[in-house]
Amino acid sequence: MASRSVTIDAVSRLRNHPIGVLGGSGAVLYVLFIGLPVIALLVRASQQSGFLDAVTSDAALTALRLSLLTSMISMAVVVLLGTPFAYLLARSDRLWARVVDSLVELPLVLPPVVAGVAMLMAFGRNGLIGSGLETLGITIPFTTTAVVFAQIFVASPFFIRSAKLGFQSVSKDYEDMAQTLGVSPWRTFFRITLPLAAPAMFTGLGLAWARALSEFGATMMFAGNLIGETQTMPLAIMSAMETSLDGALALSVMLLAGSVLVLAVLGLLTRRRWQGR
Amino acid sequence: MMDKALDKQADGTTATGWVECQVGGFHLETNWEIQPGQVLVLFGPSGAGKSTTLRAIAGLLRPVRGHVEVGGQVVYHGGGGGDEIWVPTHNRRLGYLTQQYHLFPHLNVAANIAFGLPDRRSPAGRERVLELSGLFQLDGLEDRYPWELSGGQQQRVALARALASRPAMLLLDEPFASLDAELRRTLRRELRAMLAQSPVPVMLVTHDREEALALGDSVQVIDEGRTLVTGDPLEVLGQPGQGRVARLVGVENLFDLTVQERNPRDGTMTCVGPGLRLEVPLDTQVSGSAAHDGGEDRVTVAIRASDIILAKEDLAGSSARNRLPGEVITVESRPPGYAVTLNCSNYGDSAQLLRCHITGGALEEMEIRPGQRLWAVFKASSCFLVDEARSSDDRPPWSAPEYPA
Repeated sequence: MASRSVTIDAVSRLRNHPIGVLGGSGAVLYVLFIGLPVIALLVRASQQSGFLDAVTSDAALTALRLSLLTSMISMAVVVLLGTPFAYLLARSDRLWARVVDSLVELPLVLPPVVAGVAMLMAFGRNGLIGSGLETLGITIPFTTTAVVFAQIFVASPFFIRSAKLGFQSVSKDYEDMAQTLGVSPWRTFFRITLPLAAPAMFTGLGLAWARALSEFGATMMFAGNLIGETQTMPLAIMSAMETSLDGALALSVMLLAGSVLVLAVLGLLTRRRWQGR
Repeated sequence: MMDKALDKQADGTTATGWVECQVGGFHLETNWEIQPGQVLVLFGPSGAGKSTTLRAIAGLLRPVRGHVEVGGQVVYHGGGGGDEIWVPTHNRRLGYLTQQYHLFPHLNVAANIAFGLPDRRSPAGRERVLELSGLFQLDGLEDRYPWELSGGQQQRVALARALASRPAMLLLDEPFASLDAELRRTLRRELRAMLAQSPVPVMLVTHDREEALALGDSVQVIDEGRTLVTGDPLEVLGQPGQGRVARLVGVENLFDLTVQERNPRDGTMTCVGPGLRLEVPLDTQVSGSAAHDGGEDRVTVAIRASDIILAKEDLAGSSARNRLPGEVITVESRPPGYAVTLNCSNYGDSAQLLRCHITGGALEEMEIRPGQRLWAVFKASSCFLVDEARSSDDRPPWSAPEYPA
């Protein structure tokens, strides 16, 4: 309640401020810029007569199923391995931790296509360790596993960075206090650290999931475009554009709906019952 | 009610130990022995090593060497002979309280109090929470979150939480520092009452004299990682024996003087120095132990600012042996009263600054302002001698108490 009145005060004061005027026009332009294409997509899709058929077509459902399956596996791996890793990064001030910390940012700035080529060089049939894996009977490139690899590569930094910030915001004093109360460090992590860092972790998970769902470049390079095996939603949209706009529009609307759903669910999860810290 | 809530806590075990810690460039050496139900106050300026001592006992910091016993159990032994013993923090059976309380923000009052209870979801655990919330006047607040509580309520929750699992020792790190004076007094009373019912040893860190006097059964003055003196709170904080301790505990006026004349009949002696001529209690030890400088006895005389009376006229004919004329230099607010600094002189040409504490009422009534001429009056027995020679550099080297391995 208090924070709302503060916001209103701030807005009414901004109204007569030159930056406020600039910011207002910026906001209008921005909403148009983002909103117009989205509205256009929805309008065009609704005008298509075969829209429902396209949405429920085998090709669309297969791509949707694969996208959901692979992104869920990717997120499970990212959360399970990324959470302790992020905690370590947050609590350690050693040199190696800082080096690894900046390494986490590399996938954010690397073009996904380059990531795909690089993964091919590592895990490909003639790759650095790919040839070794091949003799063991393990093939990664151009399989569903490769799709998961590509998604983890590009999406994990979003979760790890956000989780790290979340853990950093949990004062070590809370953990110390929990232990003086007779609670072991392991239990302290689950009863104190994790719940307090959870909002930041959910935010990171949302961003990572959205990134994994939209992954295109690295998947294209490293996993290919095999229907039912590596053809995720974005790749299916690309393929559909070549034959029918209907299919492409239907898939796009489905992906849009999925993204909005992820945002909404995580928005609910990140709402905290408590204030400040 | 009270004894029912806390009975099983009465362990009756002495908390004892010594540690040497190294934190960066800071070195700490200290030892303690606290009887059940007794409060040892660690008193000293910030950075003296008080909190470090508490953290070492709690196991939040690993000492270089030492020996720590809590609840009859050796929780740390290291650096000397024998195998190292290290009991992790969560197995040390401590109650630890800090100035910031550190209530868990995602848990309500009931869950905070119950946090350390192994049976917190059982009926017994829930009953324990109810007992403690009743004891600390938190009834009806069980569903609130920490940010919905006042400072005093937060402190009570923290105290209830620390006591919930019946610790064998209490470590209190400036627990009342962020509360207002009245609330502080109330909580001190509650803590005292609770200790009477459940005798656990308590180590309390503070730099508040009033708190040390109100709660301490003994006081240990610490500075720069070293214990200067341990003793009765009234003796140590009222008339501290060492010059360094006197400054740390806040004795405002210290003067280096020379003994001019002894009056064994009155039990006093007359001391002089630049600008001052004071009558102070005769200390038989001074002639024997203090430094002789060309046949003169040099002494350091201390007077508490609150022991000085300010008068507009000379109180000739009064029983006070010391009456000094002076000029008001500054008047500063020092809640709850005021600090007046006088430039006094009753001997020779030079003068000395004398600090006096008075109430706001006295300040208004006498209309005290800088430049005014006043008399500072105090009894000979308000003066006490402090031993400057026993400074840290001359002290015998600290030796760690020996414990069987």
